[in-house]
Amino acid sequence: MSARKKLSTLFSRYAVVIIFVIITLAAIPPSGLSIKYILQEIITRLGRNSFLVLALLLPIYAGMGLNFGMTLGAMAGQVGLIFAVNYGIANWQGLVFAMLVGLPISVLLGWVCGLVMNMAKGREMVTGYILAFFINGIYQFFVMYMLGSVIPMGNKAIVLSRGYGIRNTLNLESVRQSLDNIVMLHVGGFSIPLVTFIIIALLCGFVVWFKKTKLGQDMRAVGQDMAVAEAAGIPVEKTRIVAIIISTVLACAGQIIFLQNMGNLATYNAHDQTGFFAVAAILVGGASVTHASIANVFVGVMLLHSMFVVSPLAGQKLFGSAMIGEYFRQFIGYGVIALSLVLYAWRTRKAAAEARLSLRGVQDDSAKGNGGTAVGNGGQA
Amino acid sequence: MNGTTEAKGAPQTKTRRHLVRGGLLVAYILIMVLMILTGRRHTILIDNKDAADGSYRAINGMEVSIDKQESSEYYPGDRDKAMVQGQKHTIKVNIFDDNKTIEQSFTVPLWNDMTIISVPKMVAGIEPWIEPFTMAEQIQEALESGPPAGEMSFQSLDSGVPAGTEQTQQSP
Repeated sequence: MSARKKLSTLFSRYAVVIIFVIITLAAIPPSGLSIKYILQEIITRLGRNSFLVLALLLPIYAGMGLNFGMTLGAMAGQVGLIFAVNYGIANWQGLVFAMLVGLPISVLLGWVCGLVMNMAKGREMVTGYILAFFINGIYQFFVMYMLGSVIPMGNKAIVLSRGYGIRNTLNLESVRQSLDNIVMLHVGGFSIPLVTFIIIALLCGFVVWFKKTKLGQDMRAVGQDMAVAEAAGIPVEKTRIVAIIISTVLACAGQIIFLQNMGNLATYNAHDQTGFFAVAAILVGGASVTHASIANVFVGVMLLHSMFVVSPLAGQKLFGSAMIGEYFRQFIGYGVIALSLVLYAWRTRKAAAEARLSLRGVQDDSAKGNGGTAVGNGGQA
Repeated sequence: MNGTTEAKGAPQTKTRRHLVRGGLLVAYILIMVLMILTGRRHTILIDNKDAADGSYRAINGMEVSIDKQESSEYYPGDRDKAMVQGQKHTIKVNIFDDNKTIEQSFTVPLWNDMTIISVPKMVAGIEPWIEPFTMAEQIQEALESGPPAGEMSFQSLDSGVPAGTEQTQQSP
């Protein structure tokens, strides 16, 4: 393979990462922020977001693409937190309580999501996205009407003045940074929430271990080719449902970790962009619809959030308005997802064409290296 | 032979599975209860006021701390709050006049959000020195006892028409 071809392959594979690194590096000087400040922000945001992004891995292994249905888990976590605040349960106990309330809800929602996705094989991403809108309607009804009217809420401070429904914004002061502050390490002027990082490391360990188990191997087999997996006796649909349930449960825990760090909950729309930003982060880290690793998660969170930190100030300095930076943030998020999907589709088509050529016996240099890796999973929406 | 063993083993496995699932469910609920017991937050009002009937008097000056929280100084008429988690707590009072330290343990009812501790009552040994505190009850009591003497009273606007003046109806 020629050097030019190699460079082209490398760029097409890591285009999103490369573009992102360039934009972020270019935005740092005009933002005027110190490197120390940016690093501290990245550490904080790694603790806040990594768990959520890690929740996306298993569905990718199972060939279900990027799980936009993780929003369902986020809603379950929020319901748990609402109950923790209602009963006045503070500190890490409040977080555990929220998780225990959210767990059965997220399992149920994950199961529903898995069933629906099994009915829409090959279109999992768009199905998950629309399903999240549907469940959002149920969540809104539950929080806006059921809580306080059907389910009694003892804490009047969180209930709307009409007597039912939860207020727009909940103060999570009782659980604010309770996980982060269990052990806060101060090293070289940086504050590191040790327990949060230990939990994230444990989840990484779980993912590595899980991939080696029978179920993990089944998931990978299903992800590579469902028909072959079915022929090999693997219960394809059940395996896919399990992948989605685990992802939804992890998203529930991830949202609780995220919100305890933030310290307040926008009751009706905190979950809206959970899936969107998690997906953007893993794609920025170099993952694709069919391939992702733990490294992609951390690289992605660091890159995306360093961009989020610098872009408002860079926008302020360059264009005289911080709103430009905010707009840029949204634009970049959606742009990254679009670019990744386009590149993925392009690579899939290219690999299919090269595989076709090689079958016809046409000797082509490029066909040798690309052995049709992504052919089996083409057509994801 | 093998089939019979399998047939016998199947209900046993089923029973064991049910037992394990039941045990997990019980453990799940127990952890939830434990989180409520240990994590529920209560507001403690620390009060240093005279009794209305004169049965006890406020302490001239003291330092009060609850559990291992930072202590605060209280003078007659003071009332402050402390947030505690869980049900069992200790209050430590250091009276400035005779440099006496009193330590008492108390339990806050689980579903009680706000509790008031009257330190002068506690020091005088009058029971109950710890009582539940609800805002609605306080308002009710204040209304029943009427406005304090010498202070301005607030009445509803429509009842405040002075005698001898005519009420005119506004034309539409």
